[in-house]
Amino acid sequence: MSHVDLTSETPLSFRERHASRIRQLRLYAHMFCGSFSSMFGLTLVVLFLILAAIGPSIVPYPQDTTGAVNMEARLLPPGAEHWFGTDEMGADIFSRVIVGARTSLWIGIVITGLGALVGVPLGIIAGYKGGWVRACIMRVTELFLAVPGLALALAIVASLGPGLTNCMIALAIVWWPGYVRLVEAKTLAVKEELFVESARSIGAKTPWILWHHILPNCMSPIIVKMSMDMGMAILSAAGLGFIGLGAPPPAPEWGAMVSVARSYMPDWWWYSFFPGAAIFLTVLGFNLLGDGLRDILDPRSRER
Amino acid sequence: MLSFTLRKLLTVVGTMLGIAVLTFVITNVAPGDPARLVAGPNATEDMVATIRTEYGLDRPIIEQFAIYMKDLLSGDLGTSIVSTRPVLDELIRYAPATLELVLVAMTLGVVVGVPLGMLSAVYKDGPLDHVTRILSISGVAIPAFWFGILMQLFFSVDLGWLPVSGRLPLVTRPPEMMTGSLLIDALIAGRFGTFQTAFSHIILPAFVLSFPCLASILRVNRAEMIEVLQSDYIVAARAHGLSSRRIVMIYALKNALLPTLAMIGLRFGWMLGSTVLVETVFDWPGIGLYAVSSALASDFKPVIGVTLLIGFFFIIANTLVDLAYAWIDPRLRRA
Amino acid sequence: MTTSLLDIRDFTLDIDTFDGAVHVLKKINLTVRRGETLGIVGESGSGKTVLVRSMMGIGPKRSRIMDGRIVFDGTDLSTLDNAGWAKIRGVRISMIFQDPMTYLNPLFTVGKQISDVIAAHHRATGKPKAGKTARRARAEGLLSQVGINDPTRVFDQYPHQLSGGMRQRVLIAMALTGEPDLLIADEPTTALDVTVQAQVLELINDLVRTLRLTVIMISHDVGAIAKVAERCAVMYKGEIVEQGLTKDILRNPSHEYTQRLLAAVPEIDEVAGVHSLLECEDPAPFESETSPAKPLLTAVDLRKTYGLMGGGTVKAVDGVSLSVMPGEVLGIVGESGSGKSTVARMLLRLIEPTCGEIVFDGSSITGLAGEALRRKRRDMQLVFQNPHSALNGRHTVGDAIGEPLRIQTAMRGRDIDKRVEELLDTVQLPKAFKYRYPHELSGGQKQRVCIARAVALHPKLLVLDEPTSALDVSVQAQVLTFLEELRGELNLTYVFISHNLAVIRQICDRTIVMKRGVVVEEGLTDAIFDRPQHEYTQALLASGRQTSRAALL
Repeated sequence: MSHVDLTSETPLSFRERHASRIRQLRLYAHMFCGSFSSMFGLTLVVLFLILAAIGPSIVPYPQDTTGAVNMEARLLPPGAEHWFGTDEMGADIFSRVIVGARTSLWIGIVITGLGALVGVPLGIIAGYKGGWVRACIMRVTELFLAVPGLALALAIVASLGPGLTNCMIALAIVWWPGYVRLVEAKTLAVKEELFVESARSIGAKTPWILWHHILPNCMSPIIVKMSMDMGMAILSAAGLGFIGLGAPPPAPEWGAMVSVARSYMPDWWWYSFFPGAAIFLTVLGFNLLGDGLRDILDPRSRER
Repeated sequence: MLSFTLRKLLTVVGTMLGIAVLTFVITNVAPGDPARLVAGPNATEDMVATIRTEYGLDRPIIEQFAIYMKDLLSGDLGTSIVSTRPVLDELIRYAPATLELVLVAMTLGVVVGVPLGMLSAVYKDGPLDHVTRILSISGVAIPAFWFGILMQLFFSVDLGWLPVSGRLPLVTRPPEMMTGSLLIDALIAGRFGTFQTAFSHIILPAFVLSFPCLASILRVNRAEMIEVLQSDYIVAARAHGLSSRRIVMIYALKNALLPTLAMIGLRFGWMLGSTVLVETVFDWPGIGLYAVSSALASDFKPVIGVTLLIGFFFIIANTLVDLAYAWIDPRLRRA
Repeated sequence: MTTSLLDIRDFTLDIDTFDGAVHVLKKINLTVRRGETLGIVGESGSGKTVLVRSMMGIGPKRSRIMDGRIVFDGTDLSTLDNAGWAKIRGVRISMIFQDPMTYLNPLFTVGKQISDVIAAHHRATGKPKAGKTARRARAEGLLSQVGINDPTRVFDQYPHQLSGGMRQRVLIAMALTGEPDLLIADEPTTALDVTVQAQVLELINDLVRTLRLTVIMISHDVGAIAKVAERCAVMYKGEIVEQGLTKDILRNPSHEYTQRLLAAVPEIDEVAGVHSLLECEDPAPFESETSPAKPLLTAVDLRKTYGLMGGGTVKAVDGVSLSVMPGEVLGIVGESGSGKSTVARMLLRLIEPTCGEIVFDGSSITGLAGEALRRKRRDMQLVFQNPHSALNGRHTVGDAIGEPLRIQTAMRGRDIDKRVEELLDTVQLPKAFKYRYPHELSGGQKQRVCIARAVALHPKLLVLDEPTSALDVSVQAQVLTFLEELRGELNLTYVFISHNLAVIRQICDRTIVMKRGVVVEEGLTDAIFDRPQHEYTQALLASGRQTSRAALL
């Protein structure tokens, strides 16, 4: 943008030019910080991201996360040596839980990212184009949505064979239709706004309208859903891991850890408690964050 | 209303066929080799080839599809490798347990969720609202399998109040099979002791299954109530002198119930999917457990059978939700 | 009867917001005597709605009464509890609202809603509860009292099955259920068509006569107030700036704001200064058939048919032909559902006509598609009814005005910036506005931005679709004057669509009257207004004149 003013008025400073933007961001920050649950969610998410980033280099027993066996120290209760106790191989559960954060983050990003990458464009096209294009996209989407996600993912993993990658593929396959439905509904609403017709009347091409008018106005719900879905994807993957279709045993995956730990119930309760709590807190963090974002970005469309 | 219902039924049939095709496509186009999975990691090439021929996996995909659809339309879902019995028979055997569990859980979710959501909306930002908010947010975040284990630990092991798992103890003779639901069958047979036992077995799994569902029904109903209570027609109703109780319980609730209904339908499907986890935790002999054990044994036909059946139940539930929608909202009846 | 029924003393009310408390009402003093009709005139943001809602205890949630009180028939309303309100709300004071669609619960039948109000009143007043049939009889009685011909059928219908006017009648019936002493009418005609407006006002007047009602009516429409109210108060920014007999205020407004407001109201029978001036300077080219000038835009036999969900079709536009000369202002007037907006969009090829031919600037644009049509769009632009929705909330004003330049020209960066500033200058807005977002602007400013956007590419034709109907009267006057100036400055041709007859009269050279997709009359504006030929035009003008200032004095 040019700083030169046509008249002799003094040029506006950056702060003055973007005053409205700045005020809006400050309002958002004020609203977000004022809500305890949003801040709590943000804290949990940041903590989780830090652990995922530096976890493997700070854990007390790094070798335990790759399948080291230490039979003398098996199934010790939580204590000073092992904060979360040890498992049946004598591995430190604290180390394994922390390293598991990276796996979970990876799962969340891949599933949510792929889901949005496929779902958002399809949703926008379906909503804006209408006609048979929309009919085709929405029919397929509805078919996917007609089978509960976890059941369909189970069938896909069953035919692909167990494993973490296959779990992620399966969940990504069942995840995108949610974005199509959300974005299509939002696009249908935005399309009716006069500014879209106004853009058409000045001769804007369809890609321009989609990119400059429709997508920015669909962003709030997409961001909120992606935040929530990070948690939900981690939860679903943990579920598949719990069933025994996820990562094979020595890998530190939270769901699989709870699954193995189940046979050590009830006497060695800590074994299943801590990995499960890690899942719970991570998912809770992303949910609270998403909820807080929705409150500031989209105050009227709560729960839609 | 009648033609509306008929049209809905036609959609059900169409969607069922679509699901059948979808299931075939995603399980066959996927880059896995089912024959190798069935044969196991130590199988020789010959064994894999034999299995491939046996299951018709060496034929062209179109032909496989034709056979699959033909079998499906004649009610043949294939045979389980593990039990060597027809999948359809096994589904009929296991489905009632799952339906019983899901319906009890759904009832719990609606009966608790809707009033709590309504009260939180009316007393917004009060103490109850804070409690329900924690409840509703942690409800959807909690891993069902872990929550189930914690519940078992607390109520069954520590307190000893409720049985850990299963539908009935092995020593109890199940009531004569009428509906498949142990609760109802026990009542029909007049065996109230058995009813009590069966009821004590279903409490924990139903609660664990219903918790996330209760949480989201509560949230939607609260949010909708808050929105409806601010709407113009509620302002008008107040101005016309209607009592607050009547406004909340009848005028606002009916409007807020529409989106809540949609959530109930959605959550019904979610519950059906989650049975694979909850039934595993509680050893509940339903189709979820059946699907999991089959999947772990690389036994596909039962997994596909369960997927189709769950899809079928979900469609039926959604159709009922649509009908309820039209029943509540006069504006939809014409369309 | 001279006892005061409602007495408001020094009433002051704040509303808490994020940016601190806003003083919404400042020291309001108002007295209403039994049997009197009081009008409160004010534009948006004047606080009139908050004031009347406070009289019923249904004011906004975060409001605080800072000072003063409202006394109704001896009871101080500001101290009432729920039980106390139950005896007053709906029973002794009742209210009718602006948009009858959103104020009726869509999920219950009309009869059920009225019956419930009847039952609630019986409970509140301690009368024995009436049976279902008794309530039905009473409800049907009320419905026929408000001029509904077949109350038995309407009783079982849902709100969405009724027309706007019918819904407003139903709401009035509900308000009359408790045989109230005081009826508050909150913009009761704003959402309705001209002819229906006149009927509803007539009904209110009838009820005042037959039921000896005391009425407080608020409106932004001076004409509607004058039709009903003998006394009137003018509100501006939370204060009552003037009150007295309606006639006196209309004749001799004493406060400066009232004078401005009245001056801004366009008059049906007043030939506006601006366009007659222009006519003198530039003899209108369309006056003689032999004029050498060719029309800028011609449309022949435009039709638009929509298929319905359940089969069957609706003819939104049924054979409309028109032509516009260069430099002319052509008005299209009609009520809602007349198809005037559809015609506007078809002229610009934003909606595909089912059949018909459009010639613009000497060449047919009916068959144009793709790039050719896109190019053509430079020369013809649309200005929308609702400036709040016509601007993308995520773009700054600068982005919005620069968008046509980015799309249609090779201009980049600094050039666009310069042109945007020029355009802001043209529409008389400060240059710094280019950094603002639409939600920070007032309605009039937003409409100016929309106009700047529309003229950015130097179009020949502007189609204005109700450009002022979402704006306050005083802003409307400014925008209309500005549009006139702009036309001369930029050499534009206008197609001006409106439901407001007075506005049409003020700005248009020639006018087309539309009803249900057909043109019923066309001709020079003055001729149509002075000597309407078609029955519908006559009815339209008669309804319009009922609330015109001239008719009331």
